Amino acid sequence: MAFAWKAAGLSYNRYLAIAARVVRRSLKEGPRLHAERRGEMDLRFAKWQNGKQGENMSLGAANADAMAEHAAQEAK
Amino acid sequence: MLSRAVRPALSAGNAAIARTAVPQVAGYATLREIESRLKSIRNIEKITKTMKIVASTKLTRAQRAMTDSRTYGQTSNQVFEEAETKPLDEKKTLLVVASSDKGLCGGIHSGLSRATRRMLEKNENLDIAVIGEKCKAQIGRSNPKNVVLSFQGVGKDVPTFADAQAIADQLVMLPEDYASIHILYNKFVNAQSYEPVTVEAYSEEAITQSPNYAAFEIDDEVLPNLREFTLANALYWALAEGHACEQSARRNAMDNASKNAGDMIGKFTILYNRTRQSVITGELVEIITGATASEEM
Repeated sequence: MAFAWKAAGLSYNRYLAIAARVVRRSLKEGPRLHAERRGEMDLRFAKWQNGKQGENMSLGAANADAMAEHAAQEAK
Repeated sequence: MLSRAVRPALSAGNAAIARTAVPQVAGYATLREIESRLKSIRNIEKITKTMKIVASTKLTRAQRAMTDSRTYGQTSNQVFEEAETKPLDEKKTLLVVASSDKGLCGGIHSGLSRATRRMLEKNENLDIAVIGEKCKAQIGRSNPKNVVLSFQGVGKDVPTFADAQAIADQLVMLPEDYASIHILYNKFVNAQSYEPVTVEAYSEEAITQSPNYAAFEIDDEVLPNLREFTLANALYWALAEGHACEQSARRNAMDNASKNAGDMIGKFTILYNRTRQSVITGELVEIITGATASEEM
């Protein structure tokens, strides 16, 4: 079993999130607005090294970057 | 009259010169002081009351999310119960502390930090990922070397599954290979009490080594997916339950604060009235003595 999304560098959770977003966006106007609130994610994170906090970064953007990198590695 | 005589001596510290020159002013000044304090306490009471109401309304939503997520997380864990998965001991463990960004909710954040420190005493090599500013500040001060990741921006609203997924993705991408991931969160016992407990998410190896693993016929290729997904499930459960605890703790804390403010308002009103009364009595005595003195002349 080979997964197309795995070849694209996505993790299973990311794949689920995208699938869920597609379903939410294809809903009717009323339920859609309600459902889209459940898909919001606005977290920031920081890496720590040797007891020092690193820079604050947006989690969504960092995840997308990491997956693009992963995809590039996969392609090689 | 004794109280009037004593008062200037008591508050001699502030503006002693003005008071010794005109003794009556002292009574009015303290009266005004009491009045301004009363006013500020009333304002604080208003604020805490409002925060309590806000927390109460948020609590019902948070509790609903908690019960839902709890069944969800338990169902997801059932696989591992059936397979009798056990954590592996030899490798490193990652501890995820699920607190939030906001304070003013009693001791639930410091309870988590204390539990973390207790676990660190047992196992020095624990790596920690902190969710939420409050615990980050506390653990970052005491054990900065163990922290590998911190997340901010939780606790504004009921946590979504998208939050849990994004955090899980970031945890999976950590360079270290962890034997198991413990998630520490506040368990909702009842509206008054919470206790910090952990829920586990296992590594791939631990899953393959569990005794009843063969019964599930899991493909090797799907296994990482299962692992990532269960991690997100467990995180969602911990976040939702921690959020419900926080709201309920905030409601209690604000309830207590409003009660204390009410007590103080009662005490200060009595003090205010008494002081006012004695000022009036003092003035009357002065007028009467003045009148009788001038009559006699």
